[in-house]
Amino acid sequence: MRRFMFASSMSIILSSTLLLASSQSEEIAQLKKDVEALKVRDKEMKQSFEGNSKAGFWLAGYAAVDFSSVENGDSSFSGTKFAPIFHAQYGDIFQFEGEVEFTVNKDGSTDIELEYAAGTLFLNDYMGLQMGKFMSPLGQFVQNIHPSWINKLPSAPLGFGHDGAAPTSNLGIALRGGLPKIADTRSNYVVFISNAPSFGVADDGDVVIEAVGNTGSGSAYIAGGRYAVNPIGNMEVGVSLATGDITEELLSGDSIVRDYDVFGADMVLNIDALNLRAEYIQQKIGENELSLLEGGTWKTWYAQAAYQFSSVNLEPVIRYSDYHNPEVNKNQWALGVNYLFASNLIVKIAYEINKDEDDSVIDSSANNNRFLAQLAYGF
Amino acid sequence: MNIVTKIALGALTLLFIGTSPVSAQEETTDLANGAQLWADTCMRCHNARPPSDLTMRAWSFSMNHMRVRAGLTGEETRDILAFIRASKTENDKQ
Ligand code: HEC
Repeated sequence: MRRFMFASSMSIILSSTLLLASSQSEEIAQLKKDVEALKVRDKEMKQSFEGNSKAGFWLAGYAAVDFSSVENGDSSFSGTKFAPIFHAQYGDIFQFEGEVEFTVNKDGSTDIELEYAAGTLFLNDYMGLQMGKFMSPLGQFVQNIHPSWINKLPSAPLGFGHDGAAPTSNLGIALRGGLPKIADTRSNYVVFISNAPSFGVADDGDVVIEAVGNTGSGSAYIAGGRYAVNPIGNMEVGVSLATGDITEELLSGDSIVRDYDVFGADMVLNIDALNLRAEYIQQKIGENELSLLEGGTWKTWYAQAAYQFSSVNLEPVIRYSDYHNPEVNKNQWALGVNYLFASNLIVKIAYEINKDEDDSVIDSSANNNRFLAQLAYGF
Repeated sequence: MNIVTKIALGALTLLFIGTSPVSAQEETTDLANGAQLWADTCMRCHNARPPSDLTMRAWSFSMNHMRVRAGLTGEETRDILAFIRASKTENDKQ
């Protein structure tokens, strides 16, 4: 009897252990399956985030809100800007970038401008072929410093805005890239051919060079480029040159061309938290006896120093700019302080001291000082 | 190091190279050069954007963009991307 009891209890224990074991191994098998499934999902997620697919697009851009108070003038929220940038690429062979700028006018209407839309085909490690409408590669401010979250002051230096002394954009083709080191020094270049800019009288009566990447330049072109070296890691010195024709539409409706030459020099130096930059640029327009408009030189330069106190996220900035064209001679001191919530989220306040050097009637408001504030975000 | 450790390490390395999503070109990237270039170049035009600002996918677009803007060579671009990837992975571990 005892034996029977022992045997039956043993068999019960054994079978329940076996049952337990088999259910455990089922659980383990299930867990293994789950882990495998998670691994696959993790890999898929990684791939979708890291972009193992060659083709794809991405949206970036920036936005800004401005407030300005002008001496002897208005005080208002003077502008707001939204500039989405569309990026598309195929692996590391091709990239397209396009920026549209939406700005609000005084009357509440919206201005839309295609800032740039250009594709770059990377031919090799040292050369990309860029085609389309691109920001003028002459100098640095227009191409690289104008976005609100980058510019350390709420305004552009004199002559570096639209219709100033600095060319704004080109429609054409460019070859550009970084060069192999020469004597352990890095350098980079851009050479381009584009449609000629145009010359004329703007709505406000000013004579302007509209170097906007226009399509109606007849058969007139300009060619030019910029070459820059990095003598030390955090320094760059660049020289820009361009030459060709500029077109002008006469009152009769006929189109003429005039000589057009650009020269520019720029430099930037970073020493720890100190950022120094300076830039000179001029556009020279030749005479044409068929035209009533005189030629001449549109030239401007600025120098700027900024220091980041990273412990308090504050950045004081000082800038001087000086602009001359056949009709206008003016200069400006701008003093500002920025608060950096993040490297791309910045509140700026600034005071501009404006001086019209010959108090010309055409631009008499040029003497008015301004208080400016801006919230800028790059995303 | 004994022969078994060597073989194990070799196998691990092979496994790592075999399974890592890094493209063939990026295997030869120079992290130190990437870090140096990052420190030298990336705050010349604007405030430095930390690797944590963007996903790795977004960085692949942005670095192609910066290659054009900042006049970087293809190799420099890959080195900087490798540096960004490495510092992101380092952060993920924390
Ligand atoms: C020559 C000037 C210049 C240098 C040097 C430069 N950038 Fe930029 N960067 C820009 C400009 C200009 C923009 C904004 C583009 C626009 O708004 O059209 C920008 C935008 C960005 C953005 C925002 C997303 C995007 O791609 O638009 C990131 C991130 C960025 N840069 C990272 C870097 C890194 C990392 C480096 C170092 C390799 C670097 N930048 C060096 C000019 C520069």
